[in-house]
Amino acid sequence: MKTLSVPNLLGIKHLVKEDIDLIFETADHFKEVINRPIKKVPSLRDITIANLFFENSTRTKLSFELAEKRLSADVINFSASGSSVKKGETLIDTVNNILSMKVDIIVMRHPDVGAHEFLSRHVNTKIINAGDGTHEHPTQALLDSFSIRERLGDVAGKKVVIVGDILHSRVALSNIYALKLQGAEVKVCGPVTLIPKYIESLGVGVETDLRKALEWADVANMLRVQNERMDIKYFPSTREYTQLYGVNKKLLNSINSEVTIMHPGPINRGVEITSDVADSDQAIILNQVENGVAIRMACIYLLASQIKQ
Amino acid sequence: MNILLKSAIVFDPKSTHHNQTVDVLIENGLISKIDNNISCPTNCEEINLENLIISNGWFDASVSFGEPGYEDRETINNGIEVAAKSGFTQIGLNSNCYPFTDSKSMVNFLKTKAAGTPVNIYPIGSLTKKSEGTEIAELYDMQQAGAIAFNDYKKGTKNANLIKIALQYTQSFGGLVMSYPNNCNIAGEGLVNEGINSTRLGLKGTPALAEELQVSRDLFLLEYTGGKLHIPTISTQKSVSLIKEAKAKGLNITCSVSADHLTITDDELSSFDANYKIAPPLRTQQDVNALIEGLKDGTIDFITSDHDPIDIENKKLEFSHAIDGTIGLESLFVSLQDTLGLDLLIEKITTAPQTIFGLSNSTITEGEKANLSLFTTKGTKTFTEEDILSTSTNSAYIGKKATGKVYGTYNNGILTLA
Repeated sequence: MKTLSVPNLLGIKHLVKEDIDLIFETADHFKEVINRPIKKVPSLRDITIANLFFENSTRTKLSFELAEKRLSADVINFSASGSSVKKGETLIDTVNNILSMKVDIIVMRHPDVGAHEFLSRHVNTKIINAGDGTHEHPTQALLDSFSIRERLGDVAGKKVVIVGDILHSRVALSNIYALKLQGAEVKVCGPVTLIPKYIESLGVGVETDLRKALEWADVANMLRVQNERMDIKYFPSTREYTQLYGVNKKLLNSINSEVTIMHPGPINRGVEITSDVADSDQAIILNQVENGVAIRMACIYLLASQIKQ
Repeated sequence: MNILLKSAIVFDPKSTHHNQTVDVLIENGLISKIDNNISCPTNCEEINLENLIISNGWFDASVSFGEPGYEDRETINNGIEVAAKSGFTQIGLNSNCYPFTDSKSMVNFLKTKAAGTPVNIYPIGSLTKKSEGTEIAELYDMQQAGAIAFNDYKKGTKNANLIKIALQYTQSFGGLVMSYPNNCNIAGEGLVNEGINSTRLGLKGTPALAEELQVSRDLFLLEYTGGKLHIPTISTQKSVSLIKEAKAKGLNITCSVSADHLTITDDELSSFDANYKIAPPLRTQQDVNALIEGLKDGTIDFITSDHDPIDIENKKLEFSHAIDGTIGLESLFVSLQDTLGLDLLIEKITTAPQTIFGLSNSTITEGEKANLSLFTTKGTKTFTEEDILSTSTNSAYIGKKATGKVYGTYNNGILTLA
């Protein structure tokens, strides 16, 4: 049986192209499963998974939990706002306590960059990164690429622009790694204050004019402005941000080619994207959500199969 | 304790025995005889160390121990032992204890604690009360008690006028003001050097600009006020060139660099190991090269270990929660002698900093006080946790190449061997 090249899913930057191909092949199968009348397989009846969310999440947490349940794993959930440090217990202690209860896989979202890599060096378990600060959100990038592949046939050679708050976005960074690995061309677009100064070192282009970016792109992935991660104001007002970087139907209609619109959610309607775009056929936002479950099933299944081997 | 050092190569350009292999007899703390084949008198211990080199005792002008306040990180007593075994007979002790070294009584406390030990402690007083950056501390009083300079350790002073007044005020008594090069507003919540690695890892970056803007500001202030200023732990290429220009203009400016910034780059950060979380942040290879060049051309006056012990509870954490700092006394010599060569390295940890802080230079000459570092340049190994003598083990140098070995020191009549 084919297996992933990594023992944990900490970030896209640790994967090779064959890993992504394997995850997609597996996800194709699970996508068919979750569209059956009985949306469940017994594959992970002997596996226990803990979802540790040290940061708020609705869709990612639900998506992981559904994926786990559809694989028949036993699931426990742990949520805490802020990091474990604030509660007086270290992250290592929290996780070791949970592992003592014979948990096999940890799915974790954490506000601190590198928390998963840190954890992987100090505890003995399988870890899936469900988002760490402004670093990576690998399953989101995988489901985004999977959705592009589903809509456009392939990711290789496609032109993808990621629009918005690149500086505070783990979705952007993981997407850049995933898209580059699959041979897509990538640009980022947004106010210079929200684009990391050295972003071009990752092999992506920078465009500050949204119209030009959309004219260039096959796909536009619209990001939410991460106000909660900002220590200062990076632009004067939401109103002005929308004038410069909001996508609306009028703008899309004025562009010759048809751009596929994506959004990792939650959407701020009327800010980065208007309702007439979000609800149009050009947008694949809900397909992304559906694919999220299949992708997460694939990732969990592939890592769990390493335990069984 | 009387000792006879057998077959030691003297490394002291000021000594007539420089580069000679000799026996050195030390009696009652003084160098009583330097000659070939001295026989060991009674009441004297003969010391034979492989490929032994002796130099004047080393001075590390940026060391933190924690005591008082953070004894779990390091006590003064153990810290002194670490310094002595690492080759240092003199240290400048930073003011970042609790309470801060911001008064004459604190300076006296530290001096008293170190009395009778093999290491001379020279406290560096806080520039401002409680190192809060708002009100100047009693600098003259501290200097009278033995403080050698004034610095709010690792805190960039936001108020430019405060630095201006400090530079003017200290001229009455020749006080040395130090200003940590960091513009807090530009640095923001940055954790590491802003660059390719911070981008790749999603870590919030502190741009080199934060340091360079502060250096530029302080140089403007110094040009206006006169007086003398020291900028500790510079870390960027442009800081070197700014200070080089200022020196060429004739400003009384000196600067130093930590050993970490000469040996480690931000390429190490991909492991998210908090031992690499240091202030100023680890920079790029280009910066390292410029810093080494700055040492060679005299722009950078001396090297410090910037030894800063942090307890494991505050280091073995998610990267953003860990406290900045690395220990460095144990690794300074073995990390640098290969790259810099003995002539440059020894100068930058003896005569150069001693002159700037107004300390006397010793020499390896008969009749002089014996203040010696004992070491060899031979042998290569990997620096491991087992080489750490400090209470805290937060070394950024673990796993890296160590060339040579420090045997210890002789100072104040005490032989300390590692």
